[in-house]
Amino acid sequence: MKIKFWGVRGSIPCPGPDTVEYGGNTACIELRTGDDNRIIIVDAGSGIRPLGDSIVKNDLKNGPLKIDIFITHTHWDHIMGFPFFTPIYIPGTEINIYGPVTYEDEGLDRIIGDQLRYRYFPVKQSELSASINYHPLKERTLDLGDGLFVTTKYLNHPILCLGYRFEYKARSFCTAYDTEPFLNLFPTDPSDPGYDETAAEEGEKVAREENEKLLQFFKGADLLVYDSQYTKKEYEASRKGWGHTNFEFALNSAHKAKVKKLLFFHHDPLRTDTELTDLVARYKKKIMGKTALVVDAAREGMEVIL
Amino acid sequence: MEKEKQLKKIALYINKMPSLPTSVTKVVEICNNPNTSPADLNKVISIDPVLMGNVMKLINSAYYGLSQQVTSLVRAIIMLGINTVKNLALSTAIMENLSSKQNFQALNMEGFWRHSLCVGVTAKLIAKHIKVDTKTLESYFIAGLLHDIGKIPLNHQFTEEYITAVGFSDREKAPLYQGETAAIGLNHAEAGQLVAHAWKLGAEIKDAIIYHHSIENYEGDNKLIVYAVAAANYFSNYSEIGFSGDRFPEKPPEFLMEKLSVDMDWFDDIEDTVNEEIEKARIFLKIAK
Repeated sequence: MKIKFWGVRGSIPCPGPDTVEYGGNTACIELRTGDDNRIIIVDAGSGIRPLGDSIVKNDLKNGPLKIDIFITHTHWDHIMGFPFFTPIYIPGTEINIYGPVTYEDEGLDRIIGDQLRYRYFPVKQSELSASINYHPLKERTLDLGDGLFVTTKYLNHPILCLGYRFEYKARSFCTAYDTEPFLNLFPTDPSDPGYDETAAEEGEKVAREENEKLLQFFKGADLLVYDSQYTKKEYEASRKGWGHTNFEFALNSAHKAKVKKLLFFHHDPLRTDTELTDLVARYKKKIMGKTALVVDAAREGMEVIL
Repeated sequence: MEKEKQLKKIALYINKMPSLPTSVTKVVEICNNPNTSPADLNKVISIDPVLMGNVMKLINSAYYGLSQQVTSLVRAIIMLGINTVKNLALSTAIMENLSSKQNFQALNMEGFWRHSLCVGVTAKLIAKHIKVDTKTLESYFIAGLLHDIGKIPLNHQFTEEYITAVGFSDREKAPLYQGETAAIGLNHAEAGQLVAHAWKLGAEIKDAIIYHHSIENYEGDNKLIVYAVAAANYFSNYSEIGFSGDRFPEKPPEFLMEKLSVDMDWFDDIEDTVNEEIEKARIFLKIAK
């Protein structure tokens, strides 16, 4: 498996002098497998634009494009690059788009494809040359053929969001973003007017179990790309309930689950290159000699071969 | 005297009618409140085993495969978030009551349901159009959805008379409520009033049920919602989206459309949206069952 990062930022693209090193594009990861260099993409944030151009330049000469795109969730920063993904304009291209959809919402075709409407964009979805098929996903394991499997897991975000675990030839690559540690949402203080003993206990148990399930989900992964938008301090001061994890929690979880390599991901748009480099250095120092885990922050252009 | 006897017969049926689990209004109130806490939501759903069962069923079919069933509401709220569970509970609470009935003899259930939904969806679109407080939007939907609820007890307790009522309005080219009064001595607005009372529906929904055929007599505080339901009902009958027995609806008084700043062109424009919404709800119902 070959993994390349085209967008590592959370929330909104943020180009500028402070984000040159790690990049300002929103989430997009390229995964290649097998001798035929099969193309899998995770998320269609603004990073998918340069990825599309690279695919057209390097892969089109080998015949019609076949591309699988896995959307972690449909928040805008994860789908906004789709209209600028050049392969959708090339006849003969076949694209399968997978992702979770909240039950009452429109289908993926509307949520993602309707960005291509005249009011937003000069081309309509119905005018695209590629053949595009949408597949709603729940929690499950999918056989993608050629020995490639993907397992999905619900994460904790204000909208339905999936983590993906790709397995190929005994190697595994996992995503766990956007997500926040599961919390007990029920009051545990008996003096609280909403207190209910059963709910409080059940809530504690569920939060613990769900966090444990997440550990199981990425257990032993060769590469884990984990939400770490905030530091623990930022998270606890004012970001609880926003649906994101902090560096410390990501680090601890990856260590506990015996992950081999952890990449911090979904960097806050306010996080400057200097800050990020300092944070990574600090965490590396903290864990030195205590774990076999390799840690870094994902950056645009970074490649990992598993 | 005769009418009192008929009302009693209706009341008997309503007592046995599968009542809305908790009162609909309570669920609506909790689910529509942006500040509702997970604890509130858990409480309002779990006090009723039927609602609880249906919400869990829907959660499992909508979000989980067979391999992993979620069996506790607390878990569902922590995993899926309060908004998702709120929406599911709201729809379930309202829908289960309309969907679980068998066919009437005089009216086709599918048509009745489609009509009810059309009026609900349309009333809500009117509410949006006249920019009512967004917190009350769902009440417009529910008022529209339930406006003909009185037809359910009427059909069950007076099945043969109801066939006569439908025949009467067809022959006389008269609105169905007149046929009901002629054949049964009681119309669905009057029967609906009893249901609204038994289910403890809010005043605005109750008023829409009672006055949707007689808006000129309405002098209460909920004019907009009563008008919206009356107009939506006329649109639904006129456009034949669904069928609730009213082949010859009365044209509503001139002032109605004016008060709501709508006209038939406006209704033409929303028809596609209405049909889409009904389709969505239909799929929902299939799963909820």
